[in-house]
Amino acid sequence: MDEREMSWFCAYTPVELLAAAGFRPVRRFGYPHGLEAADTYLHPALCPYVRACLAEALNGDAPRHAVFVNCCDGMRRLHDAWGDLFPGSFSFLLDLPRNPGGRGREILKLEFHRLLRALEEYAGLTVEAEDLHRACRESSELRLSYIRAAEGKAGVARVELAQETQEYRFPLEVEENRGKEGGVPVLLTGNLLNPRGLVAFLERAGARVVWADLCNGDRPFTAESPVEGEDVPRMLESLAAHYLERHPCARMADGERRYRLLAERFKASGARGVIYASLKFCDSYLYDFPRLEVRLRREGIPLLRLESDYADGHAGQLLTRVEAFLEMIAGD
Amino acid sequence: MTVENEGGLLEAIRDRYLEKLSPEIFRSRLFWKTVEGLARSPLNRPQWKADRVSLTHFIRVTRDAYLGKAPVVWCNLLVPSELIHGLGCLPFYPEMAAAVTASAGLAPRFIDRAVEEGFSNDACSYHRCLLGCAVEGFLPKPDLLLSVNYPCDSAVLSFAFLSELYGVPHLEVDVPLPGREEQLPLLAGQLEEAASLMAGISGRRREGMMQGLAEAIELSNRALEYLHRVEEMRKREDCILDGRDAMGNLSVLAGCMGSEAGVEFYRLLAEELEERGCRGPQSLRLMWMHLKPWYAQSIFHILEKYGARLVCEEYTHATWEPMDPGDPFASLALKLESHFLVGPAERRAAHLARLAEEYRVDGAIHFNHWGCRQSCGGAPLVKKALQEKGVPVLIIDGDCVDQREYQEGQISTRLEAFLESLG
Repeated sequence: MDEREMSWFCAYTPVELLAAAGFRPVRRFGYPHGLEAADTYLHPALCPYVRACLAEALNGDAPRHAVFVNCCDGMRRLHDAWGDLFPGSFSFLLDLPRNPGGRGREILKLEFHRLLRALEEYAGLTVEAEDLHRACRESSELRLSYIRAAEGKAGVARVELAQETQEYRFPLEVEENRGKEGGVPVLLTGNLLNPRGLVAFLERAGARVVWADLCNGDRPFTAESPVEGEDVPRMLESLAAHYLERHPCARMADGERRYRLLAERFKASGARGVIYASLKFCDSYLYDFPRLEVRLRREGIPLLRLESDYADGHAGQLLTRVEAFLEMIAGD
Repeated sequence: MTVENEGGLLEAIRDRYLEKLSPEIFRSRLFWKTVEGLARSPLNRPQWKADRVSLTHFIRVTRDAYLGKAPVVWCNLLVPSELIHGLGCLPFYPEMAAAVTASAGLAPRFIDRAVEEGFSNDACSYHRCLLGCAVEGFLPKPDLLLSVNYPCDSAVLSFAFLSELYGVPHLEVDVPLPGREEQLPLLAGQLEEAASLMAGISGRRREGMMQGLAEAIELSNRALEYLHRVEEMRKREDCILDGRDAMGNLSVLAGCMGSEAGVEFYRLLAEELEERGCRGPQSLRLMWMHLKPWYAQSIFHILEKYGARLVCEEYTHATWEPMDPGDPFASLALKLESHFLVGPAERRAAHLARLAEEYRVDGAIHFNHWGCRQSCGGAPLVKKALQEKGVPVLIIDGDCVDQREYQEGQISTRLEAFLESLG
């Protein structure tokens, strides 16, 4: 196991800080097919993604150093279990405000400071402005490289590309794969989905996912503002604003902005309908759906709701509903 | 309302009004006159004098909220009630309303209504129930929704929906993780923002706002002193106040601090405990974690059969220090931040391990409320912390609000086996 590897799980993790402190940030996606291994530590009615990540760590495959974000009950529970199971590893719980405004930015900046200090202490070094500049530049290049490589890609190929980029691999290194051609263009929105599970199933059913509004899809690459500043404190302030500028997760307080951005993206992407798919037991999305449904209905945007258990072994049962939906929107 | 204690009263109201149950009834003065009459009648036989105080308080506040006598602020469990009372607003706790609905046996209808609205069966039934009640128009219309980001995500998220349903603002307060002293001024700033918003709604100037808050904090401090006396009494051998009755006092702890009723409730309870002394029979001493099912079930009969009593509960204890009336926002920020449900589960586990030790419990029961990622999620860590202290733990899966999810046979068998093992 590489001691420099640092696991992270939530898309609001400031990977730039991890990289600036000399760690290799790796987003974990866990074992979607083996999450029962975590049952002793995490209740089965918790998010399957966090259970899958713990199952992977229990098997010894994942680096144990980890940064968690206090973004939801599920992630907080993963942090609890992880700290208890791997007491010798670096573990940090970063707070994430729900409010994206001025006070939220101030909170996030303070949290970034705190994380940076903890990383410096653990690594036994001091992060200079130059280190942080370099990490932010690299992150920006990764983002641009993703946007270029994702052009024209859909479905599994698109989400896998996003995941690989989140693993800090430049898309240029990724095998050229434009994904399956054809299909009915749809916008997929939700939390985090298994590209080889539900996303692949949708592709097989005839959907062409042209935009993946997922935290392991396009969402992490949506903040355009550059991270600037002459010194570390100013850069942290700018970085906090950058993270809060992204298309928000449903857990954030700016739901209105989320719905507006989604509707705009729908129009720009040429999608004919929206598929709302989320992992089971994710409260942020369970409570979000009725609000989103009202808005999309008002805008006349067709909507289909699906649910995922992350492994998606039973996705075939959804085939009739998905085919009927695709048929309906294709005929419009 | 201390829901368990008012079971007879709720039944009477239900029997009288069930057939005619409609949102309009709650906005009728006649209905509230009847409720107040019933509360004063022999039908209401509270176990403790203090319960009459809390009942009268909650009936008055709820009545006024329905009749629109003052601005109504909906809060989730950890919003400090001093903030609302101090601004002359009426706090309304929809999660408690869900518990009252469940204790009247009416929750399934509203839960199903929320599901029809698009809410998932995997979401917490407290929130599905309150959302169903709200969608059907049964709850008093809020002027403001105020939530804090603990103890769980559900409240913040369901309030976001309710804000749109009622067309009123929703203020979400971000409470920092433990040990973030540098963020306490930001938390105080958020509370001040909430207070200013309420002052605007209730027409108070800043001076009146600060005076109201100072008074509320003084009342809260007085109630806290009495609460400490209650806690000391409950630590004594065989104190006669059982958790079965005391668990509902969470509503007082959450909703009455900062009001005269809060002071009076804990004063009377402390005095009555001191008067009646500790004459209970020798028994197994148990701690209850999370909440109980509010509808009728057999758990407490089984405990009684085995001579077991609940000597303490997770949510009914003081978790903060006396506050400074001259510095309300910083004080309330500290009160909020110091709550054991804020932050990682190890803080909650430490709180429960401390209670187990102070109350010398023989065993502990954790009720895993379906859909509660906070309590179910933290249960393994809590169990471990207690077992390290030598306290056996039983984890029961169930649902506090939806009686259809209560597995009578399975729960009874597991509970009896646990109690037998404690001997």
